[in-house]
Amino acid sequence: MKRSLLTVFLLFAAVCIYAQQTIRGTVKDETGEPLIGATLMVVGTTVGTVTDVDGNFTLSPPANSKTLLVTYTGFSNKETPLTNATVYEIALAESSSLLDEVVVIGYGSTSKRFLTDNVAKLSADDIGRVPVSNFQSTFAGKAAGVRVTQVNGKVEAGIVVRVRGAASISAGSDPLYVLDGVPLVNDNESTNGAPVNPLLSLSPSEIESIDILKDASSAAIYGARGANGVVLITTKRGKIGKARMSLNISHGTSTPTNVVEWLNAEEYVELITEASDNAIGLGLGFPSPGFVEGRLDRYSNGTDWRNAEVDTDWTDQVFRDGSQTDVNFSVSGGDQKTIYYFGGAYNDTKGIINGNGLDRKSARTNIKHNFNAKITAGLNLGFSSTSIDRVANDNSFVTPLQAIAQAPISPARLENGDPFVNTVYPNFLLQQDFGSYVTKLRRLTGKAYAEYRFLPSLKFNTDFGYDMSYQTEEQFSGSRTPFNSTNGTAFNSNAIQENYVWANYVTFDRTFGALHNLNVVAGTEFTEATRQFNSVTGTEFPSDDFQTINSAAEITAGSGNLTAYNFMSFFARAQYVFNERYFVKASIRRDGSSRFGSNRRYGTFPAASAGWIVSQENFLNNNPTLSFLKLRVSYGQLGNSEIGNFPSLFLFQGVSYNQRPGIQPTQPGNNDLTWETSTQLDLGVEFGLFDNRISGEIDYYNKDTEGLLFSVPLPGSSGATSINRNIGLLNNQGVEIILNADIISSKGLTWNTSMNVSRNVNEIQSLPNEDSDIISGQNINRVGQQVSAFYMPEYAGVDPANGDALYFINSEGDDARTTTNSIGEANRIVAGNPFPDWTAGLTNTITYKAVSLSFTFQGEWGASIYNGGGRFQSANADWFDNQTVDQLNRWQNPGDITMVPQARLGDGNGVGNSTRWLERADFIRLRNLTLSYDLPSSVLEKVGLDKTQFYLAGVNLLTFTDFTGYDPEARADSGSLSNGQSFYSAPAAKTISFGININF
Amino acid sequence: MITKYNYLFFLSLAVLAFTSCDDKLNILPAQSIAGEVAFSTEANIQNILIGTYSEAGEDESYGGQLQIMADLLGKGDYVTWVGTFLDPRQVANKNMLTDNSFVGGYWNNAYATINQANLVLDNLDVVTSSSEERDRIEGEARFLRGLSYFDLARHFSSGDTGVPLRATGISDYSVDLSSGRASTTEIYDLVISDLQRAAAVLPGSNGIFADQYAAEALLARVYLHQGNYPAARDAADVVIMNSGAALTPTFAEAFNNDENSSEDIFAFQVTSQDGANDLIIHYADEGNGGRGGDIEINDSYASIFEGDDERGSFFVASRQTDARLTAKYTNQFGNIPLIRLAEMYLIRAEANLRESTSVGATPLADINTIRNRSGASSLDEVDVDGILLERVKELAFEGFLIHDIRRTGGSVDGFNADANELVFPIPLSEMDTNPLMSQNPGYN
Repeated sequence: MKRSLLTVFLLFAAVCIYAQQTIRGTVKDETGEPLIGATLMVVGTTVGTVTDVDGNFTLSPPANSKTLLVTYTGFSNKETPLTNATVYEIALAESSSLLDEVVVIGYGSTSKRFLTDNVAKLSADDIGRVPVSNFQSTFAGKAAGVRVTQVNGKVEAGIVVRVRGAASISAGSDPLYVLDGVPLVNDNESTNGAPVNPLLSLSPSEIESIDILKDASSAAIYGARGANGVVLITTKRGKIGKARMSLNISHGTSTPTNVVEWLNAEEYVELITEASDNAIGLGLGFPSPGFVEGRLDRYSNGTDWRNAEVDTDWTDQVFRDGSQTDVNFSVSGGDQKTIYYFGGAYNDTKGIINGNGLDRKSARTNIKHNFNAKITAGLNLGFSSTSIDRVANDNSFVTPLQAIAQAPISPARLENGDPFVNTVYPNFLLQQDFGSYVTKLRRLTGKAYAEYRFLPSLKFNTDFGYDMSYQTEEQFSGSRTPFNSTNGTAFNSNAIQENYVWANYVTFDRTFGALHNLNVVAGTEFTEATRQFNSVTGTEFPSDDFQTINSAAEITAGSGNLTAYNFMSFFARAQYVFNERYFVKASIRRDGSSRFGSNRRYGTFPAASAGWIVSQENFLNNNPTLSFLKLRVSYGQLGNSEIGNFPSLFLFQGVSYNQRPGIQPTQPGNNDLTWETSTQLDLGVEFGLFDNRISGEIDYYNKDTEGLLFSVPLPGSSGATSINRNIGLLNNQGVEIILNADIISSKGLTWNTSMNVSRNVNEIQSLPNEDSDIISGQNINRVGQQVSAFYMPEYAGVDPANGDALYFINSEGDDARTTTNSIGEANRIVAGNPFPDWTAGLTNTITYKAVSLSFTFQGEWGASIYNGGGRFQSANADWFDNQTVDQLNRWQNPGDITMVPQARLGDGNGVGNSTRWLERADFIRLRNLTLSYDLPSSVLEKVGLDKTQFYLAGVNLLTFTDFTGYDPEARADSGSLSNGQSFYSAPAAKTISFGININF
Repeated sequence: MITKYNYLFFLSLAVLAFTSCDDKLNILPAQSIAGEVAFSTEANIQNILIGTYSEAGEDESYGGQLQIMADLLGKGDYVTWVGTFLDPRQVANKNMLTDNSFVGGYWNNAYATINQANLVLDNLDVVTSSSEERDRIEGEARFLRGLSYFDLARHFSSGDTGVPLRATGISDYSVDLSSGRASTTEIYDLVISDLQRAAAVLPGSNGIFADQYAAEALLARVYLHQGNYPAARDAADVVIMNSGAALTPTFAEAFNNDENSSEDIFAFQVTSQDGANDLIIHYADEGNGGRGGDIEINDSYASIFEGDDERGSFFVASRQTDARLTAKYTNQFGNIPLIRLAEMYLIRAEANLRESTSVGATPLADINTIRNRSGASSLDEVDVDGILLERVKELAFEGFLIHDIRRTGGSVDGFNADANELVFPIPLSEMDTNPLMSQNPGYN
């Protein structure tokens, strides 16, 4: 009896214990840091829990439970078998799968798997070790739909980044750049007409990752500033563990990617004298006999030009071998309480253009400290100082590239070394030798932040960001520089921009019942930006040895001005995930800005998206071929507020007449002026085949921009030439395809490839004044055509009978293709567009044991470039400019069939703006190439180093194009960058550098 | 679980955010004032008037490009254009394209000046300090408006088809701005009525600004251009007799002055800090602030002079090219005379001769006054051709050449006075934005 009772008791106890067995434990990462909010689920049941602030959990798995599944964003899932143990210490490993990558999305982050938006992610590996001084060039060709163009080969050149096509005509088209949550000042402050890229101050070595928000749903959280996409930059931070140090040194040389061939002295003399003889022979009245000979005597400095005594290749004067040296160093580490990162970098770039170069010193410190389980605070601070030796803008006579227009019979320098002064155009060497132009850019960017965690699922963040950009320019032109008649001129300017950003937001993230996950963010943000500018000009210096304003006897100009803008915003976002396979997200942002007209001060920008991971469904789970399939759709509205600070006001500004003050109207007013609104739909499919060995995405997007901000031309007879209006409707739609494949994945040899292709179609759908055309120079905005399409008469070639240039009349009706030799009679036609239809990138990475080769090709098709300099340089010797060698094919005798008209000096034969100089600029470029070798660990252990790598890196090594100009990417840097014209624009640099990366 | 504490925190945050910063979104520009403010005070109307002078003196018009275009059109063999700019070369060759930037720039600038003058005239009621002030401001605005319309008509009108007539200022650009071309007669009627009113209300002397005699002198020029010789003669006579201006002792002293000379009836002011002088840019060498001498004076011009005429040697050699340049433009910051007293003598002489009168002085006496000032010997008799030649000797490179040819039915470079090629094309930018505009014959 007693024994049976005991048995029953034991059985009962056993049953009770077995049924209610409670387990507990901790979830940590491989370095021992606890993971907060990791999800634990008993496989096959709905029982689960979430870890607390210390990574601890308790769980009561039901009887017969076998396996515990632990998951956490950014880490590989881990399945732990359930044993008799009651305490479990579980360590998760960081995931290397693309789908588990952490993606930063504005006020938060998520994993790629759970993303319902279209975000392109680039890691430090993608962008590291590219020998360029600006970080934007590092991701060219690597993100679908993101087009990165370097305007020209000057080291400080503007970089044009376009996400999914040009979504605006006159308002800014740059994406919003956000560094660690602080929107960056991105205004070009150059005063000479050519832009200086303000983001040059950021060294690529500080960047951990770049996430580009491309669709409405992701960018809507940035509301009125998100219409052109958002580039989120995250800087490096420390990790728990012993201090890690890293040193990277590289040095390279640069040359121009391409040079164009010009006439030599003999060819030049032949062509110019023929042009003069023809003009005299035709009885045009100019030139007079002897005029050309006199001119050539002058330009050749009295040397024997008839026999090409002097034959200068001016291209040698313009270009030189450039170089790039880059050193950066960082220390990072941390423990449970504090993690830190300190880094410093130095970059010295000598440009490929004579007289152009920069050096940059930068430093960063990122520190984060956990005061206790609830409070974390940190400080990110970056400082950089860049000094740029600059040359003039492309339209200036003393820009080096315009030296190609000089006659080859002119010596560049006299025997005593002085630049020769009687050249056709002013000799830029005079400006180089006797003038200077230095721009200094100092930048301080920082963020102080704190996070208070009320509960594991609820936290509050406050971020205070500061961005100061301080640019000074010092320019001196000595008395011997061209056009200087005031015994020297000095110009100094200061431009200071300061942005303060204060964001406060609350995040709630909780998994309910192991199946439902809800993440809600809500907050406010206030931005205040001010800009102060002043400048002074002085003339009359005692000698060229005095170059600062203090020595100027007369101060002839000065300016000082102040401007500001503010944004006040509220935002909220909620995402709901069911069973890790159904996602719904909605966000809304309300922005008000001082930039908008008083009648339209505030705007609301909503967005929503949804996704479905089809491969989690039972019918597809564990399918051997299709390992991942996700469908997503997003839709939302964004704004573009890059419209200047006071575009809506009717303004008068101060002028002076004989030093008496007056006022003049400068801008017609428009109280209804407001931001441009962009509504975007995105449909996407993400797939993975063969256990994600092949993966990819296909996206279709349709983006409508309405209320385009336009400087609408007005009839000059009204007294003003343009007014700002929100008009019209522009549509961009396209497809992006991304394909990644691990082609070979064995031990010792891996090869993976990643390709992206995108096609963008843009079309203007409505314009004001009953869809009337807006024409500006050689570009037109017309309904049914692409933005800024080229609009000009069509060149038809040369009349074989007399050598006249011919144009197609292009009128309505049968005689459309009749030709005329009078360009005034030729109607203009739409002849091309400045933006490409197709862009593509291909990156391959091949690793064999310790050697790794990675290269990226980039291509663009469909864009055209109009060479504004063609009227001077490929003009069948219309004047004394040096000509391109193709002008030697000029018409000479009746019956000649050629595309180059007869050479006639000063007659303007064929030099009107026409398609003669409009050319397709399709190209494929080997953008980056990196070959690296890792020292074997046996060597490293002896020396006491961690990973050490030698590498060879190249930029723009190969270019395949039919374009006959300098560079199929280069555009003129003075004047509008969106009109697709080049004007003596410098080609990009081809750089090869060798470097070593040491970690210890 | 969201506790009550958390709710309160979030709520207070939201409240804080909503109330704090709405007024921070009202920022005014620091370097400009709003249009409404600009029309509200007398001081500002005076400011707009000064701004109108500054506008008219811009390089695209009276700051030099207008005079240069007039002289290149009428250049004949006198000068050669050797500069690199394509647009003035088109003017010199008389094959201007509709997108010629010198022509388009002048059109836009002239109408900007007209608009600003109109804004002053529309808001005269704000000027209440005295009737003299109001008259002075009105007179100056009408002078500038009349001047602008006169030159627009001279260059752009084709037969009796003139240019758009804008008689009131535009400050609201949201309305339809298209305008057709008024007749040339209507334009000239406005010019004459503006200048007559200006002559009636302006004071006899007004510092560097337009005065009664500037208006009379400009009227003389307008009447001469129209062929209304009696009126031209009488207006020129008023200026010569009553203005107090006197020819400078030597020819050279009439030019390159930092301050107005005794001979200046009206000049556009240029200083090292403001004002534009494009005549320097294209006529002077680099040492004097120019581009090296884009306009070279040929032997054909130098040879029209005889004897000791100072004007026949009033040249300077370019230090870059050794070519002959005019010495009228060597001071980079010198004022630009619009009307000199010398022109009045020439107008009076020509008008008297054509009318067979001798108001004020005989034509021969007036011509000799001009000649003697420059050291040329006196003539014994003079005819119309002689006076026209004297105008070329005295007024060359000041923007008169083409106008004298066209008003006298002459011809230049193989083109007759009524040739289409001697008239500017309506700028392409106006044709593209103004549907009521029509192009001049001979241009597309």
